[in-house]
Amino acid sequence: MNGSIIDLTLWDLLVVYGLLVLTMGLSRLLDARQERDIFWAGLRMFVQLLAVGYVLHLAFALQTPWPVLLILIVMGGFAVQTIGARVKEKMPRFYTVVSLAIFCGCGGMTFFFCLLVVGLTPWYDPRYLIPLTGMIIGNSMTGASLAAERLAAEFRERRDEIETLLCLGASARVAAGSPVRNAFQAALIPAVNAMAAMGLVFLPGMMTGQILSGTEPLIAVKYQIAIMCVITASVALTTFIILKVGYRSYFTPYQSLKP
Amino acid sequence: MTSALLEADRVSLSRPGELGMQPVLNDLSLTVAAGELVAVVGPSGGGKSSLLRLFNRLLDADSGTVRFAGEDIRSLAPPQLRARAVLVAQKPLLFAGTVRDNLAMPARLRRSTDTRSPLADEELLALCQLDKTLLDRDGQRLSIGQQQRVCLARAMAGPCQALLLDEPTSALDWPTAEALTRTFRDLARQRQLAILLVTHDLRVARLCADRLLVLIDGRIVEAGPVEEVIAAPKSAEARAFLNHPGTDGAGGDR
Repeated sequence: MNGSIIDLTLWDLLVVYGLLVLTMGLSRLLDARQERDIFWAGLRMFVQLLAVGYVLHLAFALQTPWPVLLILIVMGGFAVQTIGARVKEKMPRFYTVVSLAIFCGCGGMTFFFCLLVVGLTPWYDPRYLIPLTGMIIGNSMTGASLAAERLAAEFRERRDEIETLLCLGASARVAAGSPVRNAFQAALIPAVNAMAAMGLVFLPGMMTGQILSGTEPLIAVKYQIAIMCVITASVALTTFIILKVGYRSYFTPYQSLKP
Repeated sequence: MTSALLEADRVSLSRPGELGMQPVLNDLSLTVAAGELVAVVGPSGGGKSSLLRLFNRLLDADSGTVRFAGEDIRSLAPPQLRARAVLVAQKPLLFAGTVRDNLAMPARLRRSTDTRSPLADEELLALCQLDKTLLDRDGQRLSIGQQQRVCLARAMAGPCQALLLDEPTSALDWPTAEALTRTFRDLARQRQLAILLVTHDLRVARLCADRLLVLIDGRIVEAGPVEEVIAAPKSAEARAFLNHPGTDGAGGDR
């Protein structure tokens, strides 16, 4: 294994895009009417990834922290926006709560892993920092959406129960206990399931990528294990912040449910 | 009236409605002393439920003062207030588990030591005319009437001094409702509880209340001893409500 990488030519890409044409054909055959969506999704992927490729290329070349930090902030912003689009029932002060949680949860975990565990030099090395943060934010985004949505549903469906608890002298924190617990569980399930199934059902993306680019498989495995732990912790921390700050927004300052 | 346990002093309340903030209660005053049962009747949408929720601060008055045992409730921690002035809702809601689990709820919810009633679970059930053999039964499997009695017992399992009853008999058939209503009266007398009872059913009010208030469009249009108010309402609005054929028991059993 000498680490030489087989580049894909433009012609190769055209050939694989041919597969999308095949997919559109199958869709047409079934009258599933997915052709337009497949076409636009394929086009978006091409444009977006090409743009990202050039941005990364530039960031790698510049060798200053600023473009890297800007990219991370934009990633966080997109994550918050995506969560906002995904969560139909938004808690009061939704965007403030979610931004805070993503910043603290994902930011904290990225800092911990990249700087304290891996010990990047220079600390902003974009080759590590950008993809790792991407994975952390991406997974936390899913957890945050699940948590926010579940919390809203719990407060809607169990309004009478929560009010009964308040009427028996429970504080807002105690009355929100069970909804917060359920939302936390719901958010963690995907990350925990992914850890348990890792290696059996699928070879995870980062490991596959590292192996493809010539990394020794055992090193790739260690990175994969590390990133899964970091992702799980980041999902938990992000969700925890959303829930602990978020539940308050359902209550008035005098601890009754908002109308 | 300084001995009043529950006291509303010129309170007004608005709530969000379809057309912005709507006035619900308007410059309203009332008192309930320990050992007294006051019933509030009136057409639905007249602010009866909102009135109850002012006393345990599930709603906050826009103006005026609500007092509990002489103290402005805004100076009390809401959980502390709510464990003392306990609201029992129209639809009984028991938590998963046995009746005993439900009776243990108020103490479990609050960690402080003042929260347990001096009464044993068996005594609480007896006060609510439930047999002690129900203690280990699954709460969800009881009849609605029994569930409502368990809710009442659970309300008194903490440091309860006042009960706020929101249409507590409306889910029950009349014989069951009648028996429960007599229990309310006994509780006020025996346990010296202040009870504020909201109902649309005049029969319930006649059976248990010391005083009757008629609440129409957020104002108390009539107040006094039950039979006096029913026999000779002074205001036209109250007369119209009390004689309305839709008002249960207003005409039939007189």
